[in-house]
Amino acid sequence: MSAPVSRQPSAVQFVTRLFHQPYVWAIVALILLLVINLTKNPGYLGVSVNPATGNLSGNVIDILRASAPIMMIAVGMTLVIATRGIDLSVGSVMAVAGAVSMEFMNNAGTGSFGTAAIAVILALGISAVLGTLNGILVSIVGLQPFITTLVMMLAGRGLAKVITSGQNTSATNESFRWLANGTVLGFPVVFVIAVVIVAVLAALVRRTALGLMIESIGINPKAARMAGIRPVGILISVYIVSAVLAGVAGIFSTASVMTVEVAKTGMTAEMDAILAVVIGGTSLAGGKFSLTGSIIGALLIATLDKTIVYMSIPSSATPAFKAIVIVVICLLQSPRVRALFNQRKATTTSTRKEAVSA
Amino acid sequence: MAHTARFRAFAGLALAGAMTLSITACSAGSSDEGSAPAGDDIVTVGFVAVGPEGGWRTANEKNIQDSFSTENGFELKYAPATNGDQNSQITAFTSFIDEGVDVILLSATEATGWEDVLTRAQEAEIPVVLLDRGIEPNDESLYTSRIAPDNVGISASAAEWANSQFPDGANYVVLEGPPGLSVVNDRNKGWDANVADNLVKLESQSANWSTEEAKSVFETMLKANGNNIQLVFAQNDEMGLGAALAVEEAGLKPGTDVKIITIDGTKAALEALAAGRLSFVAEYNPLFGDDAISVVNAALAGDSVESSIVVPSTTFDSPEAATTALPDRQY
Amino acid sequence: MAATEPIVEMENISIEFPGVKALQDVNFRLFPGEVHTLMGENGAGKSTLIKALTGVYKIDSGSIKVAGGPRRFTGTADAQSAGISTVYQEVNLCDNLTVGENVMLGHEVHGRMGINWRKTNLAAHDALVRLGLGGLDPKAPLSSISLALQQLVAISRAMVTNSKVLILDEPTSSLDANEVEGLFAVIRRLRDEGVAILFVSHFLDQVYAISDRLTVLRNGEFVGEHMTQDLSRGQLISMMIGKDVDTLNSLGSNRGRAVHAVGAPYYSATNLGRQGSIEPVDIDVHAGEVVGLAGLLGSGRTELGRLIYGADRPDSGDVTIDGVATEVHSPVAALARKIAFSTENRRDEGIIGDLTVRENLILAVQARRGWARPLSRREQNEICTKYLVELNVRPADPERAIRNLSGGNQQKVLLGRWLATNPELLILDEPTRGIDVGAKAEIQETIAALAEDGMSVVFISSELEEVVRLSERIIVLKDHRKIGEITNGPLVTAETIVDIIASEGSSE
Repeated sequence: MSAPVSRQPSAVQFVTRLFHQPYVWAIVALILLLVINLTKNPGYLGVSVNPATGNLSGNVIDILRASAPIMMIAVGMTLVIATRGIDLSVGSVMAVAGAVSMEFMNNAGTGSFGTAAIAVILALGISAVLGTLNGILVSIVGLQPFITTLVMMLAGRGLAKVITSGQNTSATNESFRWLANGTVLGFPVVFVIAVVIVAVLAALVRRTALGLMIESIGINPKAARMAGIRPVGILISVYIVSAVLAGVAGIFSTASVMTVEVAKTGMTAEMDAILAVVIGGTSLAGGKFSLTGSIIGALLIATLDKTIVYMSIPSSATPAFKAIVIVVICLLQSPRVRALFNQRKATTTSTRKEAVSA
Repeated sequence: MAHTARFRAFAGLALAGAMTLSITACSAGSSDEGSAPAGDDIVTVGFVAVGPEGGWRTANEKNIQDSFSTENGFELKYAPATNGDQNSQITAFTSFIDEGVDVILLSATEATGWEDVLTRAQEAEIPVVLLDRGIEPNDESLYTSRIAPDNVGISASAAEWANSQFPDGANYVVLEGPPGLSVVNDRNKGWDANVADNLVKLESQSANWSTEEAKSVFETMLKANGNNIQLVFAQNDEMGLGAALAVEEAGLKPGTDVKIITIDGTKAALEALAAGRLSFVAEYNPLFGDDAISVVNAALAGDSVESSIVVPSTTFDSPEAATTALPDRQY
Repeated sequence: MAATEPIVEMENISIEFPGVKALQDVNFRLFPGEVHTLMGENGAGKSTLIKALTGVYKIDSGSIKVAGGPRRFTGTADAQSAGISTVYQEVNLCDNLTVGENVMLGHEVHGRMGINWRKTNLAAHDALVRLGLGGLDPKAPLSSISLALQQLVAISRAMVTNSKVLILDEPTSSLDANEVEGLFAVIRRLRDEGVAILFVSHFLDQVYAISDRLTVLRNGEFVGEHMTQDLSRGQLISMMIGKDVDTLNSLGSNRGRAVHAVGAPYYSATNLGRQGSIEPVDIDVHAGEVVGLAGLLGSGRTELGRLIYGADRPDSGDVTIDGVATEVHSPVAALARKIAFSTENRRDEGIIGDLTVRENLILAVQARRGWARPLSRREQNEICTKYLVELNVRPADPERAIRNLSGGNQQKVLLGRWLATNPELLILDEPTRGIDVGAKAEIQETIAALAEDGMSVVFISSELEEVVRLSERIIVLKDHRKIGEITNGPLVTAETIVDIIASEGSSE
């Protein structure tokens, strides 16, 4: 028997491998959307320095900024879905995190950096608590993830209303506002933070054995248990990660306008997150997951939202437009359609082979 | 102020179930008391409300709750919808009928689908007063009266202010609420009918009543039109405030480069008007508890009541007007 | 007996999957009125060839002729409508329907008012009579009849469409001797009616009992086609595994070397039991000893293995390992105490299908280290290289998804997973079931070698010969109880165990 063959990476292999990734169609769609925008204005992708504020400004910057919160919840959702779960409570956790930070800063009265830091810690802390609850209910009590997080979705929104007494609450704090509106080296702070968080998380998942264990539990929980994996700890962890990232997303959203809108912040965010995950090629049935795919999915959703406005698509047609784009992407990555494509590719290669031999 | 928020079907289902359980449980004990208020001094009022939604709504519902106080001879039962879900409202409405309250006040989250329960209330001889939100189709025989500010009139006054500000014309955009709501249609109607022809509508997008969405939508609108927008008609205060943030973010000055009109007149909007960040705020007056009391009393006494009562609303067109009004602002 | 014109003729069939040639220039002919057996080890390409014929896989090159004309099917249903029916190893029937409904599913007799159930059941009866199953009531629920009869119902269902070709993919793997005889009677009856039968089985005796012609595949290549009577068993096995027959004969020389069962046992349990699963049992395993658990299906042999590993939580019993009293209540605890358990349920409790061979191999080692201390890529490669070579896994590609491997090779990877944890006590539940003779021999050899190196092994198998060949001591189980324990020796045979099981029942 020959020893395992080592593989030399090459540009060709890289491209072939890319084409085997399920999210390749999301990339195609992303490029297509940008091209559509370019037809309206050839300068669409241009980035310039705004003379009044000194910040970089441009549509791309806006997209990166808008994608940050979606990225956060999509990445958390990816891990949860990989374990055969689902987290419907992310939107509500966003609202809770926003409510906690706004209410705290509003009452603290000072606009200092310290106040902002405490607000962030409080918001993430309470998010972690909600995530822990989700995790315990799913892994130890054994409730279905759908039901557990549905309850948390309702309870979370209620909690946000209790915290703010049902009011939209605003606060003034430059440090906090900078999180969503400032730039670092020209890039929006939210995007930089999101990239750093995703990078750390990706390293945590892929450089340790966590990813392997999450996938094992998602693919075959019985076999994973027989192989000595403890599912409880891992399940609780992924729900905590999901909730904390939702907390980060909540901070991003509220810092952007320095207001928490208890009935609107994070509303239907779980749908965006699930869509980003699906577009990124992670199966809702659990198992193998792709963080890269989910990030591309998040970018695509942000771009789609922006394109709708940029192209002046009427409000009443917006949901339909969004649905069509997403359905087409999902269709293109369904195993059946992909098989059809591969088959056609195979026939063309084989006819080419025959032609050569003839 | 937000009207019907988007709600999710599955949440609605789950909630409807939960509400049915809890409300039937509550009503079971009191249903045998019957509906004999005749000699009673206390009038029982069931308030099927929207619940926490935004500054305007909170002020409105608090005002109603304060007006129908025990001192004024009322017992108010407050039933807010859960996450803007109509099913939970219908359940609450039905249980008020079963309990035999004297009057029902209704702020519907959705305009359609009320015929059945309104007919039931009629059969039980319980007068129903609509607060703020109307129903569709608007069958006036199904309810006693509707008390609400006039959306068409309010947006018409906004349009007239815009005409006076831009006699030489301007480009403007509209930030709407969720498409299809009657309030959105009314506010569009009043605006479109009165705005001058030399004001050019570049586009109209929904920002779902939300500051955050409005900021994101308007930032892209500015880019798509090369900052060549002089006027924003925001159909509520929150969206107007979001647009102001986007204007500042783009390095422009709200009030000078871009004028922003909002409807509702919440405290936050008046503060922004006083600071010059908004240019015109049309009030959509939430304080009509006293009107509601007089309508309820008239209905119970058997007097005839106007089927539609318009709540008078004012407008604020300058920082000075806002500063004057601010100390008394309750919401 | 056989007609002169083949009904199926496949020539130079090649199929390539990403990275492997699953079939390369394979020829196959099937004549009406004959039983043709497809032989080969796991991974030889038998299933692939069947799937190529029925159109489940697209062939990359070659030609398929059915009844003289070129055909390419688009799937099982298409093949079936052309008269080629397949009955798979796992019976694809609906448990909650009746026998008749299963037989006629999709071919119900329709009257004016929808399905005419009386006529449908009559037709089902006719189909069953054709196979000599007239005694079976079409109205009986399927779940009420034995697995063997269900297999025959599946064949009846295939024959309802008047199939000219019947493909039986390992139909006998879960049947006992009598049931196999019943199945063979049906196969012979169909053959005599002129049906061409393609038969796949691992059991040499059965192959010789039923088949007229043999085609042997090895590693996706065509080795040869012979009439069964022209080929000795030794020759056949050599063709299949490409090894000399003597290697096989030298197996089993370990039998009866009961030399380890002295002194203190490495693992000892008294009164180990669990309500509703198995009554309390005493079991000792010494270092270097193979203890066999023998018994029929449902005797409690698997349950005992699971209790030792903690896969099910025992509710009674005292366990000592290496002289230290301990408790093993979960797989995590078992692995920490160097106990490993290879399940009989490879698909549901063994492999993680979508993961690669490498990830499956390292999983248990990694789980024991915890997620925070990942094995380096170099350590992973060492494990892969070691076990892929040592256990002769084919293809030896660590980056292939394990679900694309044949059953025997999956089993070897799982064995590798447990060996990589360096267990002191290894529990093997049916490690050789459903795999071919070559892989079986390799696994048996490995087990013997491991015990030789001092590992304690608990060996569970439904094949009594195998238990007798490998074990030093044998614990006999029946009806969830331990009914005897014997030390292996030259006089112990499978018969001895059968006698114990048989007499135990009658003595009560």
